[in-house]
Amino acid sequence: MSDPNQTTQTPAAPATVTLTIDGKQVTVPKGTNVIEAAKKLGIEVSAFCYHPGLSVVAVCRQCLVKVEGQPKLQPSCQAIATDGMVVHTADDWSRGARRQMLEFTLVNHPVDCPICDKAGECTLQQLYFEHDNEASRLDVPKVRKPKVVDLGPHIVLDAERCILCTRCIRVCDEVAGQHQLEMKNRGDHEEIATAPGAELDNPYAINTVDVCPVGALTAKDFRFTMRAWELMTTPSVCPGCATGCNIEIHHKNERVWRLVPRHNPEVNGHWMCDEGRFTYHRLRTRRMVAPTINGLPARWDEALGHAARLMAAAIQHNRDSVGIVFSPQHTNEDNWALARLAREMWGVGRFYVGGKGPVPERADKILRDADINPNRRGVKQVLGDLTLAGAQVLGEDLAQGEIKALLVLGHDLELGPEPMERAAMLDALVVIADSEAGIAARARVALPSAAWAEVAGTMTNRQGLVQRLHPAFAPPGQALPAWEIITRLGQAAGSALGYGHVRQVFDEMVGKVGELQGQAARWGRETRPIQLRFANSRG
Amino acid sequence: MAEIKKLVLGRKVVEDLDEDQELPHELMTVNMGPSHPAMHGTVRIVLTVDGERVVESDVQPGFLHRCFEKESEYATYTQIFPYTDRLNYISPMINNVGYAMAVEKLLGLTDAVPVRAQYIRVIVSEISRITDHLTCVGASAMELGAFTPFLYFLKAREWLFELLEELSGARLTYSYVRIGGVVSDLTPDFNQRLTDLLDKIDGVMLEVEGLLNNNRIFRDRMEGVGPFSAAEALSFGLTGPCLRACGVDYDVRKDNPYLVYDRLEFDVPVGTAGDCFDRYLVRLEEMRQSIRMLRQAMRDIPAGPVIVDDPRVALPPKKEAYNTIEAMIRHFKHIVDGIRVPPGEAYAWCEGGNGELGFFVVADGTGRPWKCYCRSPSLINTQTVSKTIQGHLISDVVPIFGMINMIGGECDK
Repeated sequence: MSDPNQTTQTPAAPATVTLTIDGKQVTVPKGTNVIEAAKKLGIEVSAFCYHPGLSVVAVCRQCLVKVEGQPKLQPSCQAIATDGMVVHTADDWSRGARRQMLEFTLVNHPVDCPICDKAGECTLQQLYFEHDNEASRLDVPKVRKPKVVDLGPHIVLDAERCILCTRCIRVCDEVAGQHQLEMKNRGDHEEIATAPGAELDNPYAINTVDVCPVGALTAKDFRFTMRAWELMTTPSVCPGCATGCNIEIHHKNERVWRLVPRHNPEVNGHWMCDEGRFTYHRLRTRRMVAPTINGLPARWDEALGHAARLMAAAIQHNRDSVGIVFSPQHTNEDNWALARLAREMWGVGRFYVGGKGPVPERADKILRDADINPNRRGVKQVLGDLTLAGAQVLGEDLAQGEIKALLVLGHDLELGPEPMERAAMLDALVVIADSEAGIAARARVALPSAAWAEVAGTMTNRQGLVQRLHPAFAPPGQALPAWEIITRLGQAAGSALGYGHVRQVFDEMVGKVGELQGQAARWGRETRPIQLRFANSRG
Repeated sequence: MAEIKKLVLGRKVVEDLDEDQELPHELMTVNMGPSHPAMHGTVRIVLTVDGERVVESDVQPGFLHRCFEKESEYATYTQIFPYTDRLNYISPMINNVGYAMAVEKLLGLTDAVPVRAQYIRVIVSEISRITDHLTCVGASAMELGAFTPFLYFLKAREWLFELLEELSGARLTYSYVRIGGVVSDLTPDFNQRLTDLLDKIDGVMLEVEGLLNNNRIFRDRMEGVGPFSAAEALSFGLTGPCLRACGVDYDVRKDNPYLVYDRLEFDVPVGTAGDCFDRYLVRLEEMRQSIRMLRQAMRDIPAGPVIVDDPRVALPPKKEAYNTIEAMIRHFKHIVDGIRVPPGEAYAWCEGGNGELGFFVVADGTGRPWKCYCRSPSLINTQTVSKTIQGHLISDVVPIFGMINMIGGECDK
């Protein structure tokens, strides 16, 4: 007969373990490896193959530490912390071993730093600088390997630089779920390769470049364009889809050079998709730099005055014939300012939501979402319980002639050719957009707005997380942030809309929108762009 | 002169005048500078004058502010050398040396700097001191109407600039010193050229002294002008030749010997009255002492390396940097990330051209200083101007200001 109380008598396994590293005690959750436990104490153990977002393989042997009671040095990435464990990371034995591993890694590494894209953010450089700084003892020629291996649409491999840490293989396996890379050959002829005839073409392929500790894998999009240490970095959110991956904008000279993922365990972990990385190209495509009236450049006051007259006339004529199109491509603040102007100042209620149409084939269970607008959820939150009509309903309303005036935020409005022509024939078509595309090209008055990389604001991703955008640089030409254009348009039309700073818009919005209540802290601290080479020190 | 009770924008209240004794007159405000030939660099002195006499003055430096200290927080330790060149730009080598000494103190390398490098630093510092004093004396004489000494001295200065140009590649902005040593060894015939030059400069100095020392105009305008007592000078924090002219024999090279100054024989000249003429005489004698030191240093300088053999701070030789990955990475990280200086703070001070030049550096373990303060003697010496010119004639402002030798780059930082 089994004792029914037996299970309760078994002591529950402790959820944490306490170990000693370099004489300091640290308590970590059970199952943590030694390298992470050391990190908690501020001790950085060097490593190439270990990545906190990937599985542990312990192939680089760069993180060897001494564990008391063990006859040999242990890789700290694979050694799981146990209670009472005593670890030494700075003793001569483990330090010496790590230094020798580093020297060994450098034996066949080419003298490429001046032409290498990774230089300046290279783990190998950093570890050598911190560890050793000793001169070379090598007197035999280095092993030569192919320097330009085209692995796929986005990636080029330089096999000489590769230190065979296998991070890229694991990224493909574990993030994209596709086994596309493998090791071939043996010994110092070992290389990363795809299967013959196959390509590294999964939608998360450029993550391999981020995790590559050296410059072996380079993205064709960024390769040979800009030295990494000269770039400035600004935290932001990817505008590519509703997932809202956290990113860093790497920019210089008023221009974005690449987007890289920023770690956020709630949203994207360490990763982002390739498509998202390329969204920055739109920042330099057909941008509007000055307001236009009937296609001709105008001054801001002229354009705003003209737009205000058009809208005021339409409102006076018939409030119900005035349509407002919100944009899931714009921030919460832009949409809130527009909602406030339309509802409270103008008293119009015919609302639509624009944005790009869904792309169902792109959705996967990893990061990519079918909705390629970053802020649809935010627009819904901001406008409250309204059932928002989409572009299709707008098209029908245009066809029925119910609309006489239209104020559109954002150029992404998927109208068919016929409704688009009808919209173009409206007497009052005012568009606030960053690009001269779509409906913005047909506007009576087009007002240039700043794009996502140039504004401060928030967007709400599909989970309902309010995430902050920081401005990386100033918008081109005379473009202004959309909330400011809306405020000035309201003022030109005689409304008392008085925002002076986007923070005022956010605070007001947080106070009034039920779903956002208590999210005031999501605004966070203001961040200025910092130079990438100093990003890890103190900005 | 009636006591002035009230000043309203340079106007005197009429009731205060004793009309029986004096003609009615009122105070006037005159701007001297910032664009004025006697206001070296750019400084403005707002003078309140009663006729020719200075009643009150407001010295306003800052027109040449270049954010040296703030910029330094955004530059690697090595990148700061070019900024220091632009502090006192007529003796940049001393600034280089002073700054390097502060960082070496933080790194614990002060004694590890090779002896040859220390000698070279002394040599270039003393050459710079001579160029500094040549400029100061020459320009001041010119401002008093003596154009010939100016031409003679600037010619002599040019010889030294050419020598330093040969050494460092730049006529003025040398950036020659590095953390842990200097960038390159002396040129092969440096010793000979310098020895020849020193003889020539000795001759030029004799000539100029002959022109100035007993020149009636020069003496009338320098002697008894702007006297300063030792106590006053100390209370202002005055240092350098101006302090020594007051009779205080404080010289960093003697009192806190750095580099190899304790191995050299030299005297510290002091004055008695602390007036402009004493300041002039002290400067001339200091040049003589510098020449004396240079001759000794050229005789004693040992052979050896010119930069410390420490991979933490010194760049690898070019041949290795281009051919081995280890040296390449070392070179790269030194340039891009900067020398890693352990957290701490240090103040190092040396005898600059115009006084005690100090650098206070706070390191936080990264490749850039967390703070880099410069105790620039020009700024502190310029404080005294307002006090010294009070009661003097407008024309006396020129020699007084000239002898303070305010260098805009250093004063305004």
